[in-house]
Amino acid sequence: MPGKVVRVRRHSNFGWKERLYLPMIFVGLGVTARHFFENFWGYMIGKVKTFVVQYPEERLDYADAFRGHPVLVALESGAPKCVACGLCEFACPTDCITILPDETRSAIERIPKVFDIDMSRCMFCGLCEEACPEEAIVMSRDVELATYDREAMLFHKEDLLRTEEQLGRRIGFIREEYNRA
Amino acid sequence: MAEPVKKARTEGKGGLHTDIQKLNMGPSHPATHGTVKFTVELDGETIQAMDVAVGYLHRGFEKECESGTYYQAIPYTDRLNYNSAILANLGYCMAVEKLLEIEIPDRGEWARVLAGELSRVGDHLTRLGAACLELAAMTPFLYGIEARELIWDLQEMLCGARVTSNYVRIGGLQRNIPDGFEDRCEESLKRVDELLVDFDKIVTANRIFVDRFRGTGVLSREDCVAYSVTGPLLRAAGIPYDLRKAEPYSKYDEIDFDIPVGTTGDNYDRFLVVQEELMQSIRIIRQCLPVLRKTKGQPVDIQDPHIRWPGKNRVYGRMEELIQQFKGVTEGIKVPAGEAYVAVESANGELGFYIVSDGSGKPYKVRCRPPSFVNTQPLSRMLVGGLLADIIPTFDMVNMIGGECDR
Amino acid sequence: MSDLLQAIEEKLGDAVEDSHAYRGDDTILVSHDRVLEVMQTLKDDSSFRFNMLIDLTAVDYLGRDPRFEVVYHLGSVEVEARGSEPSSLRHRLRVKSGVAEVPCEIDSVTSIWPAANWMEREVFDFYGIRFKGHDDMRRILLYEEFQGHPLRKDYPKERRQPLIGPRN
Ligand code: SF4
Ligand code: SF4
Repeated sequence: MPGKVVRVRRHSNFGWKERLYLPMIFVGLGVTARHFFENFWGYMIGKVKTFVVQYPEERLDYADAFRGHPVLVALESGAPKCVACGLCEFACPTDCITILPDETRSAIERIPKVFDIDMSRCMFCGLCEEACPEEAIVMSRDVELATYDREAMLFHKEDLLRTEEQLGRRIGFIREEYNRA
Repeated sequence: MAEPVKKARTEGKGGLHTDIQKLNMGPSHPATHGTVKFTVELDGETIQAMDVAVGYLHRGFEKECESGTYYQAIPYTDRLNYNSAILANLGYCMAVEKLLEIEIPDRGEWARVLAGELSRVGDHLTRLGAACLELAAMTPFLYGIEARELIWDLQEMLCGARVTSNYVRIGGLQRNIPDGFEDRCEESLKRVDELLVDFDKIVTANRIFVDRFRGTGVLSREDCVAYSVTGPLLRAAGIPYDLRKAEPYSKYDEIDFDIPVGTTGDNYDRFLVVQEELMQSIRIIRQCLPVLRKTKGQPVDIQDPHIRWPGKNRVYGRMEELIQQFKGVTEGIKVPAGEAYVAVESANGELGFYIVSDGSGKPYKVRCRPPSFVNTQPLSRMLVGGLLADIIPTFDMVNMIGGECDR
Repeated sequence: MSDLLQAIEEKLGDAVEDSHAYRGDDTILVSHDRVLEVMQTLKDDSSFRFNMLIDLTAVDYLGRDPRFEVVYHLGSVEVEARGSEPSSLRHRLRVKSGVAEVPCEIDSVTSIWPAANWMEREVFDFYGIRFKGHDDMRRILLYEEFQGHPLRKDYPKERRQPLIGPRN
């Protein structure tokens, strides 16, 4: 498709309106005042139009696809669904997952003895979730990770386990999404 | 430093003697977005010489890429230009795809164009907004940021993160365009348009603002070419060179859009070019939406489990796909030995990826040709002879992004 | 072989050691002591007019001789706009030149394209290749006290620098 080359229009010859500073300042004030009154009116009638939310008290709902930090899915018995295959460890670009496998007598035979994620290195990329063949590691919707010391950024298996109910929205999303042809 | 440094005492106005003063600006200066250090030599307020020191945000991008698989490098490309991450994803994946000699389905290409342009809109909004902010105009900045917020919400809906998108994949996209995206996109763009009108009213013809921009930081056409400057800076100098037109990739040859150019190559031209480009990007997005509506339900990925990991439902249930998944993750994509260079038009200019493959699952070399780095180089050329205060608007318009410049 | 490569080989003769167009990227290989002369021709000759040095980087082929390869990507942009036509000659070229481990140096092209200044500093920074004739061969992205050149293949990723100290 042939595209045009357009020259941008420079305001090179200012008229009296622009040359005197004041009129343009009033134009600017007019714009800001309009915004103010729109917002104010919205506030009065209960339809708040402002973009800012009062964060810790008020929260926005993130999109379905939202990626928080990775967590482990727990079975109903409370044990992790993970079979310690190590794929997520391989897929992780930052090497922040550490897995030590162990055997169990239950049906899945293998569980992780140690499953650590170093959240100070994790970059929430979601590749571990994409790699996992068991739907055992998924991205949660939590992002608040601030701690007082760095040791606490090392999340162990117990810190990571979530029940399927807690992760319902994400697991639903994954199932819908990964049914691609 | 290409410019000669004047060491002699110069005569100030009214016979006052002034010494050359050396001033360090940065690395963390409130009026520059991005960590960069300027060492300027001042005669009064006039810049005599200038040295730009970059590298404060170096994180070893290329070394990290070499140590992982092709797949693992994608999230790192997000962190190059964090204002328009999808464009960097796109450039990298297109380079690998060139080596693999694959083409992705039509819908995938259109979705890539859409995502890339959303990214570009976000980047340009930041650039314009931040330019106003650093000249102490808070209101237009907030309008710009509100518009960017809407764009980033769309990105979040698309790929799950506002900034570090990790969206494009080798041989496709992370996921298809979600339901209802097109409507939401149209709604948001309407609001963005409104905000841009207000932005324009406050800023573009305001003399206080224009005086700071007009005639400052000029870089002539010849200098632009000599310093390999690309992107809005080059176009502001009057050279209509846009990779989307010059070497159309993806679907850009089927899209109708204009290339804005300036005349003098000063900051005001740059500002206007970026503003117009923003409009053109919105126009492109509006052209993508009907196509995406029409192709609903079609795949965006290529159907080759050796390149694109198979869908999860098959991995869970079938042995063959499970094995492919294991091989795909542990060994990575086998890319034929050779080298390829692909450039895309990012918000700052030509963003190129030069990839050398030795035939294994890991890249042998990933080189990113960062537009910010190249465009920052002639800063001293633009500013020597100007005033100290010109640094701020010029640096804003050059839009050096630390993550991309220093990698 | 593409027309461009043919024209270049005719013009430059034996200065071109090898050429190929892998995946459509025209590439020529030039001996390191003739880089300057070749580049000057490529820039000045009216049928090439490579007036823009798009990119300059290097690759470390450890175990090969010569060990390094400096890679230039050239592009062409019309300085005078011609109406509404996109003003590019629409050709690109990759020039490669081998550099041995000792002496690890090659001629600088800053005299041809000022843009090469920072790019050459970056290659020096990461690969330790010196550019003869460059008047400001300092590190650029890393700091002065950095030891070694990190993008060399024999530089381990985990290596700690003395100023950083061991991992705690
Ligand atoms: S989200 Fe990314 S960085 Fe974090 S654990 Fe998963 S793969 Fe690793
Ligand atoms: S990929 Fe899934 S099943 Fe395998 S170790 Fe990781 S979490 Fe466990």
